[in-house]
Amino acid sequence: MIGQILLLSGLVLFSILAVLAKDLIKSAIGLALASLFLGIIFFRMGAPYAGVFEISVVAGLITVLFMLTIALTKTGGDVRESKTATLVFPVFFILAGLIDIFVMKGLLPKLQVLQSGPEAGTFAEILWKQRTFDLVGQLAVILAGVFAVLALFRKKDNHD
Amino acid sequence: MIENWFLYLGFAAALLAVGLYALLTMRNVIKLFIGIEVVSKAVSLVLVGTGFARNHILLAQSLVITFIVVEVSLVATALALIINIYKKTGSLDVRKLTKLRG
Amino acid sequence: MIFLYIGLPLLVAALLPLVGKISKRFLPDLLANGVFLTLLVLAVTSGRRLIGAGPVLQQFRWMGEDTGIALAVDGFSLFMLMTIALVTLCVGLYSINYMEHYGSKSVYYALLLMMMTGMNGLVLAADLFQVYLFLEVAAIASYALVAYGLEYDELEASFKYLMLSVVASAAVLISIAVIFGMTGSVGFAAVAEGLRGLDSRVAVGFCSALFIFGFGLKAALVPFHAWLPDAHPSAPAPISAILSGLLIKVSGVYALTRIFFNVFGLTPALSEVLMWTGMVSIVVAAMLAVGQPDMKRMLAYSSISQVGYIVLGIGLGTPLGVAGGLFHLFNHAVAKGLLFLNSGAVQQATGTRDLDQMGGLAKRMPLTAGTSIVGSLSITGVPPLAGFWSKLLIIIALVQARQGTLAVLAVLASVVTLWYYLILQRKAFFGKLEERWKDVKEAPFWMSAATVILALVAIGVGIWFAVMIRTWIQPASDALSQGVQAALSTRGF
Repeated sequence: MIGQILLLSGLVLFSILAVLAKDLIKSAIGLALASLFLGIIFFRMGAPYAGVFEISVVAGLITVLFMLTIALTKTGGDVRESKTATLVFPVFFILAGLIDIFVMKGLLPKLQVLQSGPEAGTFAEILWKQRTFDLVGQLAVILAGVFAVLALFRKKDNHD
Repeated sequence: MIENWFLYLGFAAALLAVGLYALLTMRNVIKLFIGIEVVSKAVSLVLVGTGFARNHILLAQSLVITFIVVEVSLVATALALIINIYKKTGSLDVRKLTKLRG
Repeated sequence: MIFLYIGLPLLVAALLPLVGKISKRFLPDLLANGVFLTLLVLAVTSGRRLIGAGPVLQQFRWMGEDTGIALAVDGFSLFMLMTIALVTLCVGLYSINYMEHYGSKSVYYALLLMMMTGMNGLVLAADLFQVYLFLEVAAIASYALVAYGLEYDELEASFKYLMLSVVASAAVLISIAVIFGMTGSVGFAAVAEGLRGLDSRVAVGFCSALFIFGFGLKAALVPFHAWLPDAHPSAPAPISAILSGLLIKVSGVYALTRIFFNVFGLTPALSEVLMWTGMVSIVVAAMLAVGQPDMKRMLAYSSISQVGYIVLGIGLGTPLGVAGGLFHLFNHAVAKGLLFLNSGAVQQATGTRDLDQMGGLAKRMPLTAGTSIVGSLSITGVPPLAGFWSKLLIIIALVQARQGTLAVLAVLASVVTLWYYLILQRKAFFGKLEERWKDVKEAPFWMSAATVILALVAIGVGIWFAVMIRTWIQPASDALSQGVQAALSTRGF
């Protein structure tokens, strides 16, 4: 339990770093580290597949995509973030945290949840047999993304 | 088990707050997208945390994996847009994108 | 073969880039429009036989083996499938001419097919998470399509649309996760079953609020509408047509309706919220439409307003109200699709969208002007066009349910609608023919053909509205009126 809380805090911390860092590269690295923490959290919850996906895809692939974009958009004068945003953040975060804890404590008695029995089947069975339509959806979403990138990076051969 | 659920929900809400803060205050479009990524992490955490608390971890995992695939597609498309915007305007400042009023 | 609705566009889309290497224009045109036509014919003919006896759950068999894909169709989903196929076909035909100078037609058609895959998948899903998944498929395709011309306006509009849309999707997914937490499942039937056994009004209220925010943003309901007046005008005309005509309704209204009616069950509180949100959309958007100098922006605000009518009718919850709302969904899809396609023809002919610069185009572009009039009058609700009947149904339903104020407001808003559409028609098509438009030509064949088809549908449905209602609207409305029962029954979802 303590381990999870520490890891979760690490996750939030690195996310804050990713958001507030001035240098975009540091931001991307912060995001990757946050993903790493999240992956470990998933492992410890008994979700190894999700953990692997989180680490290899989000911490890996998406970070690479970010780095690629950052490299392709090196501006001469970087966009300066407003200083007030960075200064106001702690106040905002503490406020949000307090509201968070308050709401959670208030909801605790009110929420009714159905009891559930043990889960049937292995992960492979559930993914391939029960959620087969999801896989069709995954294929569709990948194709949509591929075509989107193809469309957005195409060479315009005919000009108006 | 509910306490576990609320632990994860609580941290996910904090992450959500961080992500939304980024969306509201950041000027660099890439930073805006980092905000969206943080929000995605919050959502993944909620999904897996819910599955864990309900003893439905396998279903939650397949959902999260599908969600991550969607996220990748989304990031690819958005970054393609951002690169195009940069090629057109030479800047990544969201304040310059004010031609349309909404 | 329900899976065909998803499998066919997906397969053809995957093949198109390869086909595009062989034939740049002809084969992509043919294949894509062929798919749209096939699905339309399928929906109109065999689809109706399939659900003749009630909702159907079909297991997809691949090579004689049962896969895990079970798709459910009922009156509501079939109605949506038919509407999607019809409007997408006309957009596809129109694109044969319009997208000539944009380049990479095969990729364009691939994206259009992916959007259809997403929309069809959303409509056929029997599971909350799959609704989200296919919604994202269609959305990703739409982001690329809005920015398709790679001009500055399109890029900016697409980016803002993307940002807002992703936040909305996140809200929807969080809501789904909470429901998953409460009931242990995400399928419609299981969730409906689970929620009945729980007394969890706070949580269901919270989830409903998130759904209204998320799907409401997709449907461009006020106050979540801000992205639409930028996105729809900037996109290429056929994309504006499919976004306004289909996407906001499928990913916004359909999803919301399906979940609220068949999974949560429509409570009086929910009904109130929906009705008032609809009414606010109607009024605010109608007001904002009046002063717009840009033709497509005016049409965009009109879309927000008309979606308000749809939500108002459906939110009312009575069978008549739901029928009126659904009928208006169809009519608006047809008419707004038509109007946006025409706006593209005008933009292509004159090079501008500014109404004040146009004038007298009817003399040079009679077909465009004629179909525009049909579309405008249909949306405004002028008999005997289709829109008249749908609006009438909604207003009668409101009166019957003793919602007098809303009925009056709806009628008044209709008058405002008529006003701004008359302004649009007068400024663009009538009046004196401006000197510089002396030589403009009528729109090319396929573009005109597409709009003529839609205009004929609007007229035909207006004349034979009873047939339309009996064969398409009634089954859809019945499926929804069954409420949570439909999700729980063994034959359906």
